[in-house]
Amino acid sequence: MSSSEVLPGERPSVVSARRGSGWSLLGSEISVLFRRRRTWAMLVAVALIPILLAVAVRLSSEALAPGEGPPFLDRVTQNGLFVGFTAMVVAIPLFLPLTIGVVAGDTIAGEAGLGTLRYLLVAPAGRVRLLLVKYAGAALFCLVATLTLTVSGAIIGAALFPVGPVTLLSGDTISVSESLARSLLVAAYVTVSLLGLSMIGLFISTLTDVPVGAMAATIVVSVVAQILDVIPQLSWLHPWLFSHYWLGFADLLRQPLDLGSFGQNAIVQLGYLAVFGALAYSRFVTKDILS
Amino acid sequence: MSRNSLKWLPAIVVPAVVVAAVIAAPLAAGAAVDLPDKTAEQVLLLVNDSTVSTFSGTVAQTTDLGLPSLDLGAGMPGTSSAAAVSTALELLSGSHEFRVYVGGESQSRVQIKDRMAERDVVHNGSDVWLYDSSTNAATHLSIPADLAATAQAKAAELESQLPADLSSPAQLAERFLANLDPSTAVSVGTDARVAGRNVYQLVLTPKATDTLVASVSIAVDSETGLPLQVTVEARGQSAPALQVGFTTIDFSAPNADLFDFVPPVTATVTTPAFPTTPDGSAASDTGDHSPAAGGSPVITGTGWSSIIEVPALAVPAELGDNPMLEQLTEPVAGGRTLTTSLLTVFLATDGRVFAGAVPLAQLQAAAE
Repeated sequence: MSSSEVLPGERPSVVSARRGSGWSLLGSEISVLFRRRRTWAMLVAVALIPILLAVAVRLSSEALAPGEGPPFLDRVTQNGLFVGFTAMVVAIPLFLPLTIGVVAGDTIAGEAGLGTLRYLLVAPAGRVRLLLVKYAGAALFCLVATLTLTVSGAIIGAALFPVGPVTLLSGDTISVSESLARSLLVAAYVTVSLLGLSMIGLFISTLTDVPVGAMAATIVVSVVAQILDVIPQLSWLHPWLFSHYWLGFADLLRQPLDLGSFGQNAIVQLGYLAVFGALAYSRFVTKDILS
Repeated sequence: MSRNSLKWLPAIVVPAVVVAAVIAAPLAAGAAVDLPDKTAEQVLLLVNDSTVSTFSGTVAQTTDLGLPSLDLGAGMPGTSSAAAVSTALELLSGSHEFRVYVGGESQSRVQIKDRMAERDVVHNGSDVWLYDSSTNAATHLSIPADLAATAQAKAAELESQLPADLSSPAQLAERFLANLDPSTAVSVGTDARVAGRNVYQLVLTPKATDTLVASVSIAVDSETGLPLQVTVEARGQSAPALQVGFTTIDFSAPNADLFDFVPPVTATVTTPAFPTTPDGSAASDTGDHSPAAGGSPVITGTGWSSIIEVPALAVPAELGDNPMLEQLTEPVAGGRTLTTSLLTVFLATDGRVFAGAVPLAQLQAAAE
């Protein structure tokens, strides 16, 4: 970090506003992220997934045979609480990674593309802090997106269908309140699942000044990982793919509760956090910031 | 410049550490174990003396029979026996994970973990429940009360027929080993760790050279004597052909609620009668291959290289016009064959079926 990157006299208001403790930087990052129309559009689209599912099932006259369609869809008419689970299964392979790709890919490259990156970096040791703050913002978006899906699924399910005790995969039945707790656990699982991809997006974002490129690359990485995950010849690689445990939240719907895949998923995501965090750090602290 | 290269250090060190941890973790788990030496007989006694009646754990099963992976649901006629066959084939191919709960002699629960689904078998006293979450269907079987009594009586009867010198387990183990001796070499392999526990490995190696089985090893927990893993190795294949074993195990009693299965209100429940054979004793399997009149299977050969021959009459008719069979088998002289690394099946053109853990040539020779 050299002081030559600080351009004295330029936009001091931005500098002082973004300066100070990391918390105020985090606060401003989060408020910028959630004031964006794009963020809201993506959250609305996420919320629409369960709504579309529920409305389609409600309007269609023919009953689904058990096992037809996405998992749990045939149960939806009997119990609205399954809407959220079905929506999660539908959203996790493509839609959630897409939104994460947009948010994480935009983190550094977006600022560089707008020419605001250098103003963010005037504080000493600002680069590491900025990376952490940007990552925290992306991780928070993961949580908000999955919670949006869960909450909207629960609301639309309760509005359109009867709600009652939920049958788990094991055939045991749990109360509504316990099923809501499990829904939150599923949301937590999916949030953790997306943390590795967020860090990959952050790293890609440090490589370029073109945010669209970083977003597209992040989404491509998530699709490629899922394609690799279905090629049987690469089975040795599968447990190490960040997308391998994405659908493993089914284990949270068994009785007794199976937290094994939650732990395995968390370990894999931690590995990706460490590797791509280190790569992003090295790349970003040595980068020549020209814009 | 040197400052910049220092800053690249984490980008090299962290991935290296992660990769090292990934490689080292399984190595650490498989670190050398040294248990007090035991003979094969002592290990057998250990199994016999096992008092474990309650445990819960996760079981992993991997199969590498060299079979092509097939969509086993496709092409099967919708009969229940065909469904049972396809379930059996499906469980024998690929890898599966189970959760097993055992709470004493009459309480157990097995959960087959499928992707986004689960199949359960719950046994509690005289009730057996089968539940499949993908179809939301439950099946309830009631074991007739007299069945348990009959079985006990049979066991007592068998025991009374045993020669007097088999009254103690030690003698039983000795006799068992003596019976195995002509066909099988029994040894204790290197101590290992299975499901985080130290195990003795009882290795059975066929003495015959014309069988496809290279060895069968049974991992026995050194403390409780519970067999924790079975591995079947095939000749000419480095990966185990079949391995079933615990990945985690807990010897505390599982929660009793687990065995108290109440089918979900939305599920379709069927209650078939318990399958019984004419002489009153219940059949142990679902009766998929009830031998038709005129032929029951014949076993030729001895030990590991024995061949089972099913006469044409006993082969279910629907087997012949099953399109999946066409996919699975390949034509050879005198019929079609299904060759796996562990088992060979030969379908002669005259309808007879031969199977055995032997090379194809022996089955063809037996058919002539």
